[in-house]
Amino acid sequence: MGDVLTLSGLEVRAGAEVLVHSVDLLLAAGEICALVGASGSGKSLTARAMLGLVEIDPGVTRGTLEITVGDRSYQPPMSGDFRARKRAFEGIRGAVVGYLPQDAGRALDPLRTVGRQVGHTARLAGRDDGPLPWLDKAGLQPSVAGRYPHELSGGMAQRVVIAQALARGSRFLLADEPTTGLDPAVRRPLLRELRHLADEGVGILWITHDLRATRGLADRVLVMSEGRVVESTTPDVLDSGEVSSPAARKLVDATRRIAGGRVR
Amino acid sequence: MLRTLLGRAVLTVSSLVAAATAVQLLLWAAPGDPIDLLPNGAELRPQLEAEWGLDQPVWMRVVTNLGRAATGELGTSLSYRPGTPVTEVLAQPALNSFALLIASLVLALAWSAGLAAFTRGRRQHTSRLVRTLSVAPVFLLAHLCIHGLNEVTWSLMEAGTIARPAWFALPGEASAMRTALAVVLLAVGSGALADMHREAEQALISIRRSGFVDAARARGEPTFLLVARHLTLPLASLAAARTGFLLGGLVVVEKVLLINGAGAILWQAALLRDVPVALGITLMAATTVCAARLAADALRVGIDPRLRSQA
Amino acid sequence: MSRVAWVLLAVVVCIGLVAPFGDWERAMTVIPTEAGLGPSPGHPLGTDHLGRDVLARLQLATSAFAGPGLLACAVALVLAVPTAAVSAYRGGVLGSATRFAFTSLAAIPRFVLVLLVLSIYGDSPTTLALAVGASYVPLLGEAVYERIERLRGEEYVLASQAHGLAGGRILWVHLVWFACGRLIGRHLLALFGFYLVLETTLSYIGGFGVQEPHPSWGNMLVFEWGRRSLVDPGLLAPGIALWATLALTDWASESLGEVEHG
Ligand SMILES: Nc1ncnc2c1ncn2[C@@H]1O[C@H](COP(=O)(O)OP(=O)(O)O)[C@@H](O)[C@H]1O
Ligand SMILES: [Mg+2]
Repeated sequence: MGDVLTLSGLEVRAGAEVLVHSVDLLLAAGEICALVGASGSGKSLTARAMLGLVEIDPGVTRGTLEITVGDRSYQPPMSGDFRARKRAFEGIRGAVVGYLPQDAGRALDPLRTVGRQVGHTARLAGRDDGPLPWLDKAGLQPSVAGRYPHELSGGMAQRVVIAQALARGSRFLLADEPTTGLDPAVRRPLLRELRHLADEGVGILWITHDLRATRGLADRVLVMSEGRVVESTTPDVLDSGEVSSPAARKLVDATRRIAGGRVR
Repeated sequence: MLRTLLGRAVLTVSSLVAAATAVQLLLWAAPGDPIDLLPNGAELRPQLEAEWGLDQPVWMRVVTNLGRAATGELGTSLSYRPGTPVTEVLAQPALNSFALLIASLVLALAWSAGLAAFTRGRRQHTSRLVRTLSVAPVFLLAHLCIHGLNEVTWSLMEAGTIARPAWFALPGEASAMRTALAVVLLAVGSGALADMHREAEQALISIRRSGFVDAARARGEPTFLLVARHLTLPLASLAAARTGFLLGGLVVVEKVLLINGAGAILWQAALLRDVPVALGITLMAATTVCAARLAADALRVGIDPRLRSQA
Repeated sequence: MSRVAWVLLAVVVCIGLVAPFGDWERAMTVIPTEAGLGPSPGHPLGTDHLGRDVLARLQLATSAFAGPGLLACAVALVLAVPTAAVSAYRGGVLGSATRFAFTSLAAIPRFVLVLLVLSIYGDSPTTLALAVGASYVPLLGEAVYERIERLRGEEYVLASQAHGLAGGRILWVHLVWFACGRLIGRHLLALFGFYLVLETTLSYIGGFGVQEPHPSWGNMLVFEWGRRSLVDPGLLAPGIALWATLALTDWASESLGEVEHG
């Protein structure tokens, strides 16, 4: 494969306040890289900056992005002129880098049926086979195609969004807390779907605040705290507790406390 | 879906009936005898006493008149065109006014949406300019436009630069120039443009910030149609809410720009205290507003599945 | 910016309120020999076609809308706010009925309603002020109703009720004064502007409103064009005064804007 996405020195500011400090990140095809951190640590901003969706306030002040797919290479400007940025990212969004939004319920157009929305996405990606294969791949019944978003449960909405991402066929996928708010019975198959996708060669950045869930699923883990990546390691190492930074230490301890206090 | 629409229709029709009743009460609550108010009251008295049912209690008169109005009978004109049925007096002018109303409503919607897409809450100077221009009353804008245009044309004609243009018409003749001016001024003046621009802008901003537009953008899909479809919902409500306002403005432009419409007749009828004609026009205006509300509701229910399911 | 607007607006209204007690000979006496003069130290804005001082007429004309405009505001305030506030706070049948009444009356265009009232009750500044005030009731009432109904179920209201604060105090002090004060202020400014527009429109078109020889910014605009230069200050002054006053109400109402919550 050899497809790779490299982000280096990303800085995001809102006014004078620095929200993301010099984040470096490398995402290779076929791997799942987990980005873990407490809420408010800047995970979503980092992901959205990679799609050129962080506009002015907060805005990206520094950073470079380089994406290599096959023999093509993209280097969209991350900061600076709005129009140039928009033009450069237009060829990347969706086709090269996909996005699973944080709140699937709100990410669907309330005025169109699920089938139309997924079919529309598939058509834009140049596939004429309609919505059904994609819904099926995401584990949804064909009857869901006729429903409107307000008639879906949270888990179903999440699957529809995944079906859209599948239909779009991106080389990389930025999944922003795709399982938050879902019950465990729904969460597991969804995560398995992500793993499956990675095995097919998609590079996935999986954003989550749940350290435990990364075990057995993620290939690497980045720990983020207060806008910095403080630890880059693997789930197994984290599990054994061998971490260097105090922030990661705190996260690990907190996770252990919850796990220890659980009734088995 | 039909159930939802039916419910709205019933509500709208009953509010129209309530409005008509209120107008009737306004008439009968007038101090003294309404016939005394008429300039030619004395000679009309015998005819009117029977026609208006003055020997009956007020509620009877209201009910009778509402019943008549429901069957399309609005009585006869007293002083504007004595003896002519009100419906006949109003038929053609009402159509003219309706065409003006629709044209300026469409124009106002189109450019407030366009302007909103341009400013999007950012270009404060443009918005302020629009507000300042738009607070001017319709009659003042019309006055300035007509006289400015006339003066300029006149001096050009005197200097021999141009021949007498066709639209340099005599008053009283229909002219496309004046009609176009009426449509434009109605859609701008007395705050119309500023208010609609502000509301369209707010709606547009909140749609563009919503999760589904963001998600479509992140997938690299064009968002124009998506945003436009969602913008129809607030624009439909806005159009319905603005209809009454524009109907009021219609009276002014028709008067100032000498257009033969129901608004100009209302003015004349009010001057001559021709109560049946004035009442008939008021009723038509209220009906138009209610019809606009109903149409907006139907459009919204047709577009938005969430409104259909909450029957 | 908006403070300046408030001050200027107050000045205009004050001139209008004291004008009826002044001596307006310069504004009213016809002097044919002085007709159509340009600006001069004696007549800063020149004279009109009957030789009357334009500046004096401009000042006197403020009395045509200042007093009645305030009266219209008072009428709308007294009729709309208590009704809307009490019925929204109570809710239930009373609430629905009031809501229905507002919606129904709002179906009649304001300008049309005012003309109908003039045709039935005759034309006088007081009638006009009452009619305009009353015609604004549905709009103001609906706005206040909506706001109070939305706030009624909110935490702080429930909390104050739980603390045993009297219902009347919660309603009038917290809900009407604190939560709706700016909203009502904006509407009253808009109503004042509407009265000004209506009065000048009626006077301009003629037949209603202020009629010669009394001045209004509306009827001062009616004169013969073509005789004098287009940019004569005396001809444009009433229009400019009208436009500026309306812009002032608009700017003043900006200071009553509020951050939308929710
Ligand atoms: N539009 C915004 N304006 C100002 N601050 C923002 C904005 N969006 C996010 N932030 C701040 O940036 C920080 C990181 O946000 P985010 O990336 O959403 O965190 P998370 O790690 O939970 O995804 C938070 O402290 C948040 O307050
Ligand atoms: Mg987040």
